[in-house]
Amino acid sequence: MSTISALGLILLILMILVGGKAGAQSFLALILNFGLLYLAIVLVAFQFSPLIVTLVVGMLVLALTIFMSSGDDLSSTVAFIASAAVLVVLVILIVPVEHWAMVQGFGPEDSEDLEGLSVLVGVNFVQVTTATAILSTLGAIAEAAMAISAGLSEILEQHPQVTLKALLGDGIAVGKQIIGTTFNTLFFGFFGGFLALFIWFTGVHYSVGEILNDKIFVSEILMILFAMVSVILTVPITTWVMTRAVAGQRKRAVKGQEKQE
Amino acid sequence: MQFFKTKKGRLWTWLLVLLIGGVLVWGTHHDAAIYHDPIMQVTSVRTGATTKETDDFHNVDAQTKQTLQGKILNGTYKGQRLTVTNTYSKSGAMDQRYRIGSQLFVVVHERSGDTLTATAKDMKRDTPLVFMIWLVVGLLLLIMQFSGFMAFLSVAANGVLFLMAILLNGSTQGAQVLWIFGSLAVVFAALTLWLVLGANRQMLITLATTLGGTAFAIVTALLVFHFTHEKGMYYESMQYVTQLPRPLFLAETLLGSLGAVMDESTDIISSLFALKRERPELSANQVFKSGRQIGSTIMGPLINVLFFIFVADTFPMAMLYLKNGNSWGYTFSMNMSMGVIQSLISGIGIVLAVPLASFLASRFMEKKVRA
Repeated sequence: MSTISALGLILLILMILVGGKAGAQSFLALILNFGLLYLAIVLVAFQFSPLIVTLVVGMLVLALTIFMSSGDDLSSTVAFIASAAVLVVLVILIVPVEHWAMVQGFGPEDSEDLEGLSVLVGVNFVQVTTATAILSTLGAIAEAAMAISAGLSEILEQHPQVTLKALLGDGIAVGKQIIGTTFNTLFFGFFGGFLALFIWFTGVHYSVGEILNDKIFVSEILMILFAMVSVILTVPITTWVMTRAVAGQRKRAVKGQEKQE
Repeated sequence: MQFFKTKKGRLWTWLLVLLIGGVLVWGTHHDAAIYHDPIMQVTSVRTGATTKETDDFHNVDAQTKQTLQGKILNGTYKGQRLTVTNTYSKSGAMDQRYRIGSQLFVVVHERSGDTLTATAKDMKRDTPLVFMIWLVVGLLLLIMQFSGFMAFLSVAANGVLFLMAILLNGSTQGAQVLWIFGSLAVVFAALTLWLVLGANRQMLITLATTLGGTAFAIVTALLVFHFTHEKGMYYESMQYVTQLPRPLFLAETLLGSLGAVMDESTDIISSLFALKRERPELSANQVFKSGRQIGSTIMGPLINVLFFIFVADTFPMAMLYLKNGNSWGYTFSMNMSMGVIQSLISGIGIVLAVPLASFLASRFMEKKVRA
């Protein structure tokens, strides 16, 4: 048995033991997400536009992650709409910054891995790098949006008559709690991934100036910063979508009562 | 700190940050003087002929020559005009297209006669980097105010620690990488939790869960490696490796899962403390049950976060492999398999932390949680 399947099997068993049906569902979502990510790469290799592929795959990943985990209808719907909005805002931010920083493709540090590969493959690498940055933040956006909408829907359950203005404040308060820990997830997640690169920099004695302008370094740090921006933006956007949804519900409830009378 | 809590104080702080950041961004655009390597600003571009290229795998690309004129901004050649030629491709994987106003590092060769000759080295990128940092800090302060500042402080403190550990690793030639980053993980977790929760019992329980969950995951991984003889693990596919790959891989995985396990245990344990505060009559078993319930809803999305961080990064290289006529399976093995293994190990840590957090919280919480 290969290491991947053994580890995967252990994870599946543990998830079922701890979470029951919800655990099995989360595991399935994880596998489907992998399939979507691989599909995105294959589609781009078949000359589809990287940005459009990423937007479509991104929406699918968000929907899959959010609707396949347990949560009530209201909070799942709100989380999905909000995270989709964040995704769009993020694309609007990432595209110009990636064009400005020109961190597309590979750097001199990659030359060993690129040996024997043709790099003139006719795919726009600025778009590929943009797509990479967007895809790597998808998980964080979904998680933050779900945490905030779940927190707010719990508040709504306990205080059904809470005013919309108070709800807005509650959203920011919930956001404050999660932002610190989510930043840590991002920081350690990314830095764990880049450990080898950073060791390379100190081993080969790059100067500070060289590191700060290095294609790969800037591209990786920009990815962390994009992820942080998207998590920060998720807080007010999710809260706002939630107040709109609640306002709509209340209006409908009032209308319904009037009709009955 | 008191000043920061008033509305006016916050506004002023925010404006100050906005201003300082703006000055910094502007400054990096004009900071050529502090660089040692010569930097050229492009003043005119002449685009030359474009040639079509087709490689062995029928990928069609185009290469264009451009002649850049500009002047040197710093160093001994400051103010001198020079001409540099550059070739860029349509796809741009390894090259750059420069435009008027671009600043780039150049290598100046010895002067031949009156004119300087030079070759383009790389783009100057510090301005967009500082701009993005400024954007993150500004948004954090605007939306999260004081807690945003604390979140940023903890990331900055961890960044400094991380840098020190890397320097330490370099000075031991990477022989102790797992020990260095293993003990660093303990310091990281203690420092971060202390900044977020303060020094109290809740913090100690969270710390114990974080370390326990991460350690369990690594031990499980080592056992699986042992029994499967690391079949299907391609250490040679890891990027930028300059030292023994196996301990480095474990150190990467350890750090990567630490943040997520910490995130999760903070969430579960603080919810359980809040629950106990509201309903002190709950028994330890009931607390354990609600902990498991909270945990099982957040573990899936958290594993997802790490999965996308670890695996999405391989997109450009995997795409290039496919374009170079490699099979889907080989592309997966050579680019994504190590990232997937990392996500799976972290996932195991994240799942194991759920019962661990619930158990520790239910047994070691005070009988009456203070408000």
